[in-house]
Amino acid sequence: MHSNIQDKFRSSIRRVAFFFVSILVMLFIYLSYIQIYQSNFLVSHPLNRRTTEASRMVEHGKILDRHKDILAYSVSDGAGGYKRQYPYGSITSHIIGYDSLQYGKSGIEASHAGYLSGLSNPERRLGSITHLWDIKSGNNVILTLDASLQEIAYKALGTNRGAIVAISPHTGEILLLVSKPGFDPNNIDRDWQSLSQSDVSPLLNRAVQGLYPPGSIIKTMVAETALTEKRINLKSNFNCSGSLKIGTDYTLNESNYTAHGNIDLEEALAVSCNITFGTLSLQLGRDKMANMFEKYGFNKLLTSDVPEVPSRIPSFSRMGDGDLAQTGIGQGSLLVTPLRMAMLASCYANNGTIMQPYMVKQITAPDGTVIKNFHEEEFSSPVNSQIAKQIQQMMVTVVNNGTGSAARISGISVAGKTGTAENPLGNPHAWFIGFAPADNPQIAIAVIVENGGSGGQVAAPIARKILEQALR
Amino acid sequence: MNLAHYELRLLALASLIGITGLFAVGFATNSINNMLFIVSVCFLFIVIAVHFLQKKLGHSGDPLLLPLAVVLIGIGLTMVLRLKPTLFVMQSLWVLVGLIAFVISAAFFRRLEQFAQYKYLWGIMGIILLLTAILFGVDIGGNKNWVIVGPIRFQPSEFAKIFIVLFLASYLTERHELLTFATKRYGPFDIPHPRFIAPLLAIWGLAMVMFVLQRDLGSALLFFGVTIVMTYMASGRIGYITLGVALFLIGSFLCYKLYPHVRVRVDIWLNPWSDPNGTAFQIVQSLFALGAGGVLGSGLTYGFPNLIPEVHTDFVFAAIGEELGFMGASAVLLFYLILIYRFFSIALKSPKPFSTLVAGGLATATALQVFLIIGGVTKFFPLTGITLPFISYGGSSMVANFILLGLLSAISEVRPDDA
Repeated sequence: MHSNIQDKFRSSIRRVAFFFVSILVMLFIYLSYIQIYQSNFLVSHPLNRRTTEASRMVEHGKILDRHKDILAYSVSDGAGGYKRQYPYGSITSHIIGYDSLQYGKSGIEASHAGYLSGLSNPERRLGSITHLWDIKSGNNVILTLDASLQEIAYKALGTNRGAIVAISPHTGEILLLVSKPGFDPNNIDRDWQSLSQSDVSPLLNRAVQGLYPPGSIIKTMVAETALTEKRINLKSNFNCSGSLKIGTDYTLNESNYTAHGNIDLEEALAVSCNITFGTLSLQLGRDKMANMFEKYGFNKLLTSDVPEVPSRIPSFSRMGDGDLAQTGIGQGSLLVTPLRMAMLASCYANNGTIMQPYMVKQITAPDGTVIKNFHEEEFSSPVNSQIAKQIQQMMVTVVNNGTGSAARISGISVAGKTGTAENPLGNPHAWFIGFAPADNPQIAIAVIVENGGSGGQVAAPIARKILEQALR
Repeated sequence: MNLAHYELRLLALASLIGITGLFAVGFATNSINNMLFIVSVCFLFIVIAVHFLQKKLGHSGDPLLLPLAVVLIGIGLTMVLRLKPTLFVMQSLWVLVGLIAFVISAAFFRRLEQFAQYKYLWGIMGIILLLTAILFGVDIGGNKNWVIVGPIRFQPSEFAKIFIVLFLASYLTERHELLTFATKRYGPFDIPHPRFIAPLLAIWGLAMVMFVLQRDLGSALLFFGVTIVMTYMASGRIGYITLGVALFLIGSFLCYKLYPHVRVRVDIWLNPWSDPNGTAFQIVQSLFALGAGGVLGSGLTYGFPNLIPEVHTDFVFAAIGEELGFMGASAVLLFYLILIYRFFSIALKSPKPFSTLVAGGLATATALQVFLIIGGVTKFFPLTGITLPFISYGGSSMVANFILLGLLSAISEVRPDDA
């Protein structure tokens, strides 16, 4: 009798055992899925505070400028962790960013956190074994930035709101990138409330994320396209009567209603003639105008380390003639970033080729070994070199005999274009783009002073100070 | 036979794993102190002492059980020292109490077969224990299953599981024929006359009350599962499992509709990323820990398991996964797998029906518990708070699991009078 019961018990127990062993084996397989396959997703999830916590415990590497000037370094916080110090304070605030336990990170501190903390080093994959040689400090990040130039630019803007970007036209290296107002990254926790609630948005990096109407500086592009499309040549004449009636209900006016009379393209650019460029836009038509923005790469995002926002290009297909003429003089619904305008200047400086702007030059280990080099890269090549040369020449004339005269530097030939962009927020924005020396450009620059007034009077002198310093 | 000799070697090896872990934590946190030395030496000494004491008492149980438990305890002590150093001495004392309970239990349950006749006593004790938790339960760490008597606080459900298994085993051994043959057909189910399954329904009802009143999903599922599986073991009729699963699904559906806390548990299981900072915080943190551990882990003390609330009790497995990696976590899982395998083979080897069912029931309880908690913290299964045997911090769980281990050790002994 016993053995009978036992047999029955045993056969069902065997099945139960088989079942439980099976689900535990399934659990085993599932565990390997979570810990191996999903590991990367879970580690890099923004809500996973481990990277932040871990990075607080290692001494982060330094951030250095192109001349190895220190822009950020770590000091012990006295409690086993480290905190960041920024010798240049608000001058480099938008590029370097901040590093706060409470509010997170921004700028290079955020985008290169993996390198700076050393936590993204490949040997970290070895997990606990890494403690054998224990990484105590992170890598250094060397920027393309020139801190002394950055400081001069920051001071040149004075108390104005605005932004300045300068690029090395042959390489795309960003030499300076200023946004004002800045903030003090050394005291970000203390100042956070007032900074984040401020009307003037000090945390916004205007140089790459501020969107502005470009005003007349866009005329360089229209001039180039009209030449390239052979709608005109250098000898073509325009007649400016001070206003242009478009259709039945729109009139494009010259600023101050001055009639420029009979002028050629070079003169038109030098005096920034609205009638000429409004007319040229209408001659080019919607498709060519749309192509123009396309070929300069306005609807293509940078692939480098620069955190830009896309410019707003109006949709040309359904645009009226009035708006088309407006767009040709940089008004209307067209909005661009100062970075893109510096790229525009660099295009003519570099004979028609735009190099991809980048900020990080090199990553080095604490002992100086190079871990990674970043190289120049072509972004787009919208203009042929012959036409680029012609635009260069016209831009030199703008500075020598035109609206950009305040950017003149004795002994150095400067090319430029001013802009005075009407906007709904008050006084016009003052713009200047340019490069120097015109015969062998070393630096291309874009300056905007928000609600600063006339580009020639306000932005051009600021550009001059910086170009002078850069070429000394 | 040289089994006892194997056990001694395995015990030495198992203790060393734990001691190595303790010293690794000690060195990494610069906190090597006398207490660590005392605990380590005592741990090794007492474990070996238990071996010789058992030998002296004439035990010849399964030589794998104690070493497996000692490995798990070593890992558990290491994690408690790493996660909550202030609780380390307390946990060490609980291990000591547990080892004593093991020796007593192994000796006491040699007469297990004679206990079959007290089945209602076991049942009543089990029910009383559960009722105390239901009536006097105090909420500690989100689970209302603690009872406080003077200075002592314990979780009665940990002990109740042993009594319930004893009760079910004796009841089912006696009634297995009725459960197998005296059935009536209700639709697709063959069910015995309600009179015969009344005790089973009582336990099921109790599980439901625990579920609803105490929000103790883990224990409710455990008791419910054990009841159904043991009924199947005794009857061999798959209908009981089908019925149980059907009841479970209907019950789950009703609870899902009626109780917000159940709904929350299921919803966060289905999609934890919908509310990762709110209701799903714990499980999401647990997944982060497991993912961060990767294959090799961050190394003891180099991870951040304290970001998970209640990490030292229910979520200790996530901490192991983070700091010891998949290597460590899967090793722990394998130790459980071997232990559960041994439990089931003890059931299969036992010559007496009652002992067979007791061993099978305890094996089921342990397997289910391990599955529920490890499956819960890895999001394989909805999370139900329950302890990880031998590893989670807590005295009740430690002592109850050692009693369970002693009981199985006693069953595994082959005595001349059985043959």
